[in-house]
Amino acid sequence: MVRYTIEELLQLKPSETLTANFDGAEFRAMIEKVKQLQAIKEEEYIAQHGGHFARRRSSHHHGKPKIKHTKPKVTTDSDGWCTFEAKKKGSGDEEEEDSGKETAPVQIAQETLKVKPNKNITSSRPADSKDIVADKPTLSFNAFAALESEDEDEDEDEE
Amino acid sequence: MSVEEVSQKFEETVSVSDNNEPKSVLSDSQFDVKHPLNTKWTLWYTKPAVEQSESWSDLLRPVTSFETVEEFWAIVQNIPEPHELPLKSDYHAFRNDIRPEWEDEANAKGGKWSYQVKAKRADIDELWLRTLLAVIGETIDEDDSQINGVVLNVRKGGYKFALWTKSEDKDPLCNIGARFKQVLKLGDDDHIEFFPHSAANAKHHQPSITL
Repeated sequence: MVRYTIEELLQLKPSETLTANFDGAEFRAMIEKVKQLQAIKEEEYIAQHGGHFARRRSSHHHGKPKIKHTKPKVTTDSDGWCTFEAKKKGSGDEEEEDSGKETAPVQIAQETLKVKPNKNITSSRPADSKDIVADKPTLSFNAFAALESEDEDEDEDEE
Repeated sequence: MSVEEVSQKFEETVSVSDNNEPKSVLSDSQFDVKHPLNTKWTLWYTKPAVEQSESWSDLLRPVTSFETVEEFWAIVQNIPEPHELPLKSDYHAFRNDIRPEWEDEANAKGGKWSYQVKAKRADIDELWLRTLLAVIGETIDEDDSQINGVVLNVRKGGYKFALWTKSEDKDPLCNIGARFKQVLKLGDDDHIEFFPHSAANAKHHQPSITL
């Protein structure tokens, strides 16, 4: 078996450039073309996605965002009873708060919200005819008047 | 161009040069005695896919063949060095007409010694050249011709070197692996891994030998 060490092969390296048994120029041109196409594709990708600045925040490398959780206030009286004083948030309980605490400072809204009713879901017609009947003022039932009318009817029938 | 076409073209080139009387050092004109290699080698190139329609068979092509040291150097001088290659390119140098694929009969029962250079190293061209020289000079495998070929993958994460063998026999492979580490100038802390081709399709492809 013919063997050559790395050093022997390096010694046999010619100083001048030899002509290969294939079209080296064509091969190099093909590789250059691939590199150009790859560069164009990369530019297009950056243009579409805004480069690395548009990357979504990785949940793996960063910790969770810090959220300050306030501890609930618990007071203990002399008998040892603990009272939990939950902080009321402005979500639906405003009416109770207003009625209970007259001295509390009234906060004036800085912004005015203009709410337009959705015309598509409103209707001039009542939703249920039964509700109208219920809402209409009804005459109070008079038992004597009823008896009278029944007698009249009977009389009429007898006639 | 198929392997047969490359071989035919190569033989034509060789036969033309054989007709001329070989010149020696004592000749007045240029010295052109060639140093034969143990076997013929074929250089393959995997072109990176630039269109989705391109398949593996379209991308993998034989570039040329060589069977002397002088022909090898002529090729090396005329092809881009590893650092010049675009990403997802591969160079393969395989013995005779062995295709650089697991499916090839010569590779089916073998595997590969693999090492990945993770950083973009300045000496990557030198390491690839040393690997090629050790393989074609047959010094990486002194006991038996276990080596079928050598592969270089150019990837985003770095360069991957692989030495393809015809068997999974542990003893000869360990000798080859130890020499492969020397060729790649690796220290004791660096490890190369042997992956048998038979397990290449497995989900968690684990190396059978680590050196």
